[in-house]
Amino acid sequence: MVDLSLHLLDLLQNSAHAGARTVKVDILESLEHDLLQVKVSDDGKGISSDERERILDPFYTSSDRKHVGLGLPLVAQAAELAGGSLSIEDSELGGACVVVNYKLNHPDRQPLGDIVATFVSFLAGNPDLRVLFTYCGPNGVYHFDTNSIWDDIGEDSRNQLIFLGKVEEELTQGLYSAGYRPDRGGLVL
Amino acid sequence: MKSIEELERIKEETLQEIRLRSASGSPRIVVGMGTCGIAAGARDTMLAVLDELRKRKKLDVTVTETGCIGLCSQEPIVTVEIPGEPEVVYGKVDPDKARQIVVSHIINHKPVEEWVINVEEQML
Repeated sequence: MVDLSLHLLDLLQNSAHAGARTVKVDILESLEHDLLQVKVSDDGKGISSDERERILDPFYTSSDRKHVGLGLPLVAQAAELAGGSLSIEDSELGGACVVVNYKLNHPDRQPLGDIVATFVSFLAGNPDLRVLFTYCGPNGVYHFDTNSIWDDIGEDSRNQLIFLGKVEEELTQGLYSAGYRPDRGGLVL
Repeated sequence: MKSIEELERIKEETLQEIRLRSASGSPRIVVGMGTCGIAAGARDTMLAVLDELRKRKKLDVTVTETGCIGLCSQEPIVTVEIPGEPEVVYGKVDPDKARQIVVSHIINHKPVEEWVINVEEQML
C-alpha cells in the first residue's frame, strides 16, 4: 500500500465484512503532538480478545477461503515504520475499534493519499452503510455524515451514482477547507 | 399437511418467480476489494467503472464489491453479471480496461474475450 488512504480502505472493508451498519472514522493531524491518528470504529461483530492476540500474524485469518490475512499486519507495519503503533479496542458502537498512530513528521510516514477516493469507492460497494467521518486538520475540523447526503438528495432521485457524486463533492470541499493535503508525507521539505 | 402435488406446485411457482426476478434484474459489476485487490489498484478500477457509467448515463447498473476470492495474482478482478447471460470474470483490470469493459460488455453486450479469466483453471 503506497499511502494511508489505501490502508484506511482496507480497514473500512474489514468493518463491512464484520457486518457493521455504522462506521465512524476519525483522522487527526496534530503538529503540536507530532501525531497522525487514524481511528476506525464500528458496530460489527467485534474482535474477541483471543483473536486480538493472533490478528497481527499474517498467517492468521478468520476466513476459510484463504490461508493468509495481510490487511492488519500491513497497517501495523506501516505504523511501526513511522514510529507509531496499531491497537485494537472495543468500540463504543459495540464492535471493534482500530486505532493507528503515526509520528506526523517521521520521515517514513506515508502521505495520507486520496481520502475522497477511498470513501467513494468504499461507499460504492456498501451504499447502505452509514459513515460518520471527522477530520481534524491544520485549518480546522470537518464532519461528514452519509445520512445528510441521502437527505439532501431527496426520495425521488435516490440512485447510487448520484449519491456517490454528492459524496465526492461534499468531501472534497470539506476536507480541503480543513487543510487536508493528499501528498503531505512525514518528510517536510 | 399439504399433499406432494401441492408441494410440487409451490416449488414450481417459487422457482418461476426466482427466474423472473433474476431475468428482469439490472446488470451488476463486482470489483474485488480485499487487501490483495486494494494493493493491486482496485480503488482506481472502481472509480473508473463509476465514472464511465456516469458519463454514459447508465444509472440502472449496480456496482458492488467483494473480498478476496483466492485469485490474488489476477487482481484487480472485475466480474460482470448480466441477467440471462453467463457471468464473466476479468483479471488484471486497470482503469483503462475497466472503461472498455463498461462500454463493450455492459453497453454493447460484447464481452472482452482477451481479458477473461477461467476461474476453475486458475484455482488448480
